[in-house]
Amino acid sequence: MIYLKSRKDKFKIFLFIVPALVLYVLFQIVPMIGAFYFSVADWNGIAGTAIKMVGLKNYIAVFKDPGFLISLQNMGKMVFFSVLFHTPIALLLAVAINTKCRGYRFYKAVYFVPTVFPLTAVGLLWYFIFMPNGSFNTLLTNMGLSQFVTPWLINTSTAMNTIIFVNIWAGVGYYMVILIAGLTTIPDDIYEAAQIDGITTVKKFFLITVPMLKPIISMCIVMDIIGTVKVFDLIFVMTEGGPNGLTNLPTTLMYYEAFRYDHYGIGSAIGIIIFLIALVLTVGSEYLTSRTEN
Amino acid sequence: MNHTNYKGRKALGKVGLFTFLTAMALMFICPMVFTVFSSFKDNTEIFGDPFSLPKTFRFSNYVEAWNGANMSTYFINSLVISIATVVILAVVSSMAAYALSRFNLKCGKALTIFFLAGMMIPIHTILVPVAYIIGKFNLKNNLVALVLIYVAFSLSFSIYVLARFMKGINRSLEEAAIIDGAGYFQIYTRIMLPLTVPAISTVSIFNFLGAWNNILFPLLFINDDKLKPIALGLLNFNGERGSAYGPLMAAIVITVFIPMVIYLLFQEKVESGLAAGAVKE
Repeated sequence: MIYLKSRKDKFKIFLFIVPALVLYVLFQIVPMIGAFYFSVADWNGIAGTAIKMVGLKNYIAVFKDPGFLISLQNMGKMVFFSVLFHTPIALLLAVAINTKCRGYRFYKAVYFVPTVFPLTAVGLLWYFIFMPNGSFNTLLTNMGLSQFVTPWLINTSTAMNTIIFVNIWAGVGYYMVILIAGLTTIPDDIYEAAQIDGITTVKKFFLITVPMLKPIISMCIVMDIIGTVKVFDLIFVMTEGGPNGLTNLPTTLMYYEAFRYDHYGIGSAIGIIIFLIALVLTVGSEYLTSRTEN
Repeated sequence: MNHTNYKGRKALGKVGLFTFLTAMALMFICPMVFTVFSSFKDNTEIFGDPFSLPKTFRFSNYVEAWNGANMSTYFINSLVISIATVVILAVVSSMAAYALSRFNLKCGKALTIFFLAGMMIPIHTILVPVAYIIGKFNLKNNLVALVLIYVAFSLSFSIYVLARFMKGINRSLEEAAIIDGAGYFQIYTRIMLPLTVPAISTVSIFNFLGAWNNILFPLLFINDDKLKPIALGLLNFNGERGSAYGPLMAAIVITVFIPMVIYLLFQEKVESGLAAGAVKE
C-alpha cells in the first residue's frame, strides 16, 4: 500500500477508477436496478410507450403459469443430474490423467476442448446427431437397436434428458481441469506412505484423494449448481424450449416471454427470480462450506 | 509369488486405466470427428454413410459457408468485437485494479466490494433493462455499445483477478520511481502494466472467449446481418438453409476454429486461469 496524503493525489488515483466505474454503473448497476423496476411494471417493449406500475402482478402471474413451474422443475432436474455426473466423472478423469500415463496430455485436451467452444456450436453439433434422421438413430439401427430409435429432441420423454446429457458432455472438462489443479496440491509422500502400507488403488482414492480434495470438490459442485441455473444457449439452439415448453429453463422462458411475446414485465420478474435463486445458492453454499470448515 | 501378483495387478490396472481413458475419449472425439467428416460430404453421403470418411473431400462446402452464407463477414465481425472488448477491458480494468490494490483510498474497500458484487448479476436479469436502453438511446446495431456492454459485464471478474495479482507485486520499484519523481500514470504504464502481463493475458483469453461465444447480447443488439457476430451468424445460417447440411457442418467447424486454436496455443494458460475464472460462473 502506498499512503497518499494530499487530496490532490487521492483525486488523481481516483481518476484511474473512473472509466471502469462509469461503464459498470451505466451497463450493470443501472440495468440491475431497472430489472427490479420493470418486474413490477407493465411495458410492451416499444420505446416511448408508457410504462404502467402494476405491483406484484407479474410475479403472481409467473407463479401461476404452469410453464414456469415446468421450467423450475426442469432446472431442478438438470441441477440434480449435473451434480450427479459432472464432478464424479470429472474426478475420475482427473485422477486417471494425474497418473501422467502415456498420452495424458492428449486425453486431457480431448476432454477439455468442448468447454472453450461456443455453446451454440456445441448445441448445433448435437442437434444434428439427435435429430430424427440424425446419426445417432442411424447408429442405433445399424447396431440392431432400432426399437430405441426416437426423435430424441422432440419426444417429450427424452428431450430434456438429451439436453441434460449434452450439458454434462460440454462441462465435464471444465471441472476436470480444476480438479487436476487440486490433485497437484496433494503431497506425494502421503501416497508413498500408503503404498508402503500396501493400500489398494481404490482405497487410496476413497481414503486419501477424496478427503484431501473435499474443498475443491465442494467448490466444483457449487459452481456446477449455479452454472446450471444459468444454462441458456444449449436449449435455445437445440429445442427452443419445445416441445410445448417442456424443455424450458427459467432462463429460456424469460427470453421468450420478453422478446418473443413482448411480455417485458413477466420476463423481468423471471429475471429477478433467477437472480434470487443464484443469490440464495451462492450465499447458502458459502454458509455451508464455512460452517463445515469450522 | 506375492511380487508377481502385485505386478499382475499393476498391469491389469494399467489396462483398466487406458480402457477408461480411451472409452471416454471416444465419447468426446466421435461427435467432433463426425461433424468434421460431415463438413466435407453432401447430403446423400451424410445420411447414407454417416460414419465413414468422406469419399471425396468437398472443400466446396467450406467455400459455400464462408462466402455464400457470409461466415466470412460474421468471422471478421467477431474478431473485431472480441479484440476490441479484450483491449478495452485490459486497459480499463487494469487501471481500476491499480488504483484499488496499490493505494489507501478511503473508499477503496467499499469500491472493491461494489465491483465484486457485479459477479452476482446473471445476464438474464438485466436483459429487459438493456433492451430498454437500446431502444431509448437508439443503440440497435451499434457495435460500440455492444462492446461496451461486454466490457461492463466482464469488469468485475477482470478487476478481481488483476487486483489480486497486483497486490502481490513488490512495492520497492514503485517507491523508487516515486522518489525519482515519476507520476502515477507513468508508474502505471512503465512499472505496473509490464509486471501484470501474466494476469492480463489470462484475463484476456477468458474475455476473448466470452465475447466470441456470447449470443444473448448480440440477439438484443444486432439485427443487421452485416454486423452479426459468428455465434449468431451460425444460428442464422441454420435457420435459413436448414437442409444444406454439409455447409452447415463446415460453418460449425469455422465457428469453433478460433477458440480451439486459442486453447491449443495457450493450453497451460487457459487451464491454470480456470481457477481464477471459476469465480465468475
